[in-house]
Amino acid sequence: MRHITNENLIDYMDGRASVDEMSTVESHLMNCGECEELKQEFHSLMTRLQEDSSFEPPAELLQWGVNLFQPVIRPQTAGGLRKIIASLVFDTYDQPLLAGVRGVGAPPRQLLFRAGDVDVDVKIESMEANDRITLVGQVLSSATKFFDNTPVKLESHGIVRYRTRTNVVGEFSFDEVPKDTYHLSVDLPEGQITLFCVHRGNS
Amino acid sequence: MCLHGDAEAWEMLIMRYRRLIYSVPVRFGFSGADAADVFQAVCLKLIEHLHEVKDESKVSAWLITTTTRQCIHVQALKRREASSDEEFEEPADPAENTEDIRIMVEKQHTVREAVEQLSGRCRNLIEMLYFDPRSLSYDEISQVTGMPVPSIGPTRARCLDKLRIILRRRGVKQ
Repeated sequence: MRHITNENLIDYMDGRASVDEMSTVESHLMNCGECEELKQEFHSLMTRLQEDSSFEPPAELLQWGVNLFQPVIRPQTAGGLRKIIASLVFDTYDQPLLAGVRGVGAPPRQLLFRAGDVDVDVKIESMEANDRITLVGQVLSSATKFFDNTPVKLESHGIVRYRTRTNVVGEFSFDEVPKDTYHLSVDLPEGQITLFCVHRGNS
Repeated sequence: MCLHGDAEAWEMLIMRYRRLIYSVPVRFGFSGADAADVFQAVCLKLIEHLHEVKDESKVSAWLITTTTRQCIHVQALKRREASSDEEFEEPADPAENTEDIRIMVEKQHTVREAVEQLSGRCRNLIEMLYFDPRSLSYDEISQVTGMPVPSIGPTRARCLDKLRIILRRRGVKQ
């Protein structure tokens, strides 16, 4: 018995076949278990394809994800600044709200990063009104010293957008910068600490 | 491979799983901003825990679990905030329950992965026929691809057959 072609079978299933072709396929299917099975298989596949509703992340968000890895892999250049990647040890975004705490607008997000014996405490406050964020932080050490006059940078899309320096107690702040995807870095004598944390709309 | 500082491998990983990660919060009914937060949180977790994922075939299961947990966590926070702030807009309830979302996202990811394995010509055609929200006609596909209209039907049949075989080899029951 000569089987029907995949093309005829799919056209039949899609209603694209002519009346004559429809009738040929139908009569064949009644007598051919193999083609009937194939039809079921194509039907299931086409249903899966038609029902696909996976969602594509926005291009900017995807780029953020891709860029995430880049600071880690920058090689240490001879005489250049050593790159230290800080790890996130605390994030209020991951903490449950305390019972009884009343939410008033978006609460500030507090994060703590650690690189060796250096902690970087960061608070991000979102200003919905003008789509900006204020980012304040402090660079701390387990040793009894403050990191004063230390350069701190906010970088986005590979470009340093904002620079500041810590005060005498290691505090820094970036006031009302536009929401964007930022990498925060702190230049210490031991090397440059890079934090991944600061991203759009996360506070 | 990402562990050895291969940025390209990381990019491939993100590109491969981008829809899987992003689809979960969207299915939970999250706003764009919340879905973006979940996406970012999961990417951060992935980069932190990549060294723990020894078997590459387990990445999708790990991501689905991690993303679902993150969504549940964010949802709980939102509900908590909503209950203490009447003006807060509560996120919409997901259309399906969590397990349904997991299963659906996993299935879709498997099909998308299989489509990725097709040749460029087949992949483009399948994407245009089934994934393009514009529901393109054969004439429109012909204009975009330069493929003559009479060739589209036979090519589609061949591509679907290849896809069927790929999925069967991956142990997916149709």
